[in-house]
Amino acid sequence: MSFWLRVNMFFRSFFLQAGWNYVKYQNLGFALVMLPFLRRLYHNDPEALPTVLNRYLDAFNTHPVMASFCFGAMARLEENIAKTQSVADYKEQVAEWAGTRRGLSITAASIGDRLFWGALKPLTLLLAIFIWMLLGVDFLEFTITPVTPPYAFTAGAAAFCVYNAVALFVRWEGLELGYRCDDKSCFGLTRFDWNRTIYNAKRIGIFFAVGLILFGVYRFFEGVRVDINFIARAVLVLFFIMISFVTRRLRIPNVYLYITAVIIFNIVCLL
Amino acid sequence: MTLPFILLCVLAALLELDTTYAFQTLLSRPIITGPIFGWLTGDVAAGIQIGIFAELLFADISPLGGIIPPSGVVASVIPLILYAQGIDLYFGFFVGVLGAVLYSFFDALLRKTRFKWLVFLEKRIGRKPSDITRIITATLLLSFLMTFIFISVLAWAGAQLMFMLYPYFTPRMHFAFRLAYIAVPWIGLAALIPVFRLKTR
Repeated sequence: MSFWLRVNMFFRSFFLQAGWNYVKYQNLGFALVMLPFLRRLYHNDPEALPTVLNRYLDAFNTHPVMASFCFGAMARLEENIAKTQSVADYKEQVAEWAGTRRGLSITAASIGDRLFWGALKPLTLLLAIFIWMLLGVDFLEFTITPVTPPYAFTAGAAAFCVYNAVALFVRWEGLELGYRCDDKSCFGLTRFDWNRTIYNAKRIGIFFAVGLILFGVYRFFEGVRVDINFIARAVLVLFFIMISFVTRRLRIPNVYLYITAVIIFNIVCLL
Repeated sequence: MTLPFILLCVLAALLELDTTYAFQTLLSRPIITGPIFGWLTGDVAAGIQIGIFAELLFADISPLGGIIPPSGVVASVIPLILYAQGIDLYFGFFVGVLGAVLYSFFDALLRKTRFKWLVFLEKRIGRKPSDITRIITATLLLSFLMTFIFISVLAWAGAQLMFMLYPYFTPRMHFAFRLAYIAVPWIGLAALIPVFRLKTR
């Protein structure tokens, strides 16, 4: 795969989900990413291109960042299909291509969901909150002190840079590894120790989360006079923490807990 | 609807594209959009708070499979538009969260209906592969347009509704909304612990 072809596919991979739908998921984006490669591969047989592209328009769904491994692997397998000499061989290669596409997309999605949505996104959120706290922004207070614009964007920019440093690296390298590696190394997926990375990210995350809660509790008690308001607020906070654990077990998102709280508080206050 | 209001909605709709349809660089997450909209509406500190609160509140929902989490952009732009017009942040946040949840249903509807016309377009791609770029561009433009209309209508209707109801809000109601608003970061922080549960090994 040439450098410019890789750049082209890399750029197009940002639009993988542009035509997301509930029946074929990312199929349109998948075809968009693979089109430059298919054009180059079948430049001697342009009439074959529409038929080949139809295979890419079948249902496809994976994690948008980890999808690059699938693009590389599909490109490699498509080369094998293009080289076939007999119909039997063609059918066998197409079946392998379809099986790999399905298997690899599921594996990549599983890793991507755990790494990017389950670890990196919440971790960068905590990073941003810590940076803001270091800059003196106490978001737990109802009214926070004014912040000057350059400082205000620092935390968000840091979270953005950290997340995208990892995401762009995986997108770029995945394309190359998927293309260079074969099924023995699961098209480059086994080159990284994903479990260790996720484990370490989560370990750092839990450290940050507990630290943030302890800081919140410290700020809660700092210089405060123990009166009825303070006790009421403390009980409320503890109540919400307990309830959020219960709702999580019941798989009820926190957003509904908040909406319910607003309604219940209003009913109680109006009674 | 004034020009700054429309421009804010345009920016919000553009940022919302980043959530799913283009790039996915997380430029659309509330901790980034909150301060931006806060700065544009005149109070960066309010933007930061809304950004952190919205992100913590939605931290337990991930876009796995076909799940559509509430929109972080909607949850940050609507409260700040309302706040700039004099509505208290805790009322605005409630409207924003409702809007964000509504947007996820609206987006699900868009995704369901999109397939109906994509079937025809796929046939066109089958005949002429180069049309795919044009179709993707059209899909993105349509998503942008629908999001822009949704955000504009919701922000405008939310503001009108708030202005109409605001004189009738009793101090007790202010207290109730504020109490729930103060609890948001704690609900979010409590949800982050299970998110980082070490079960990968």
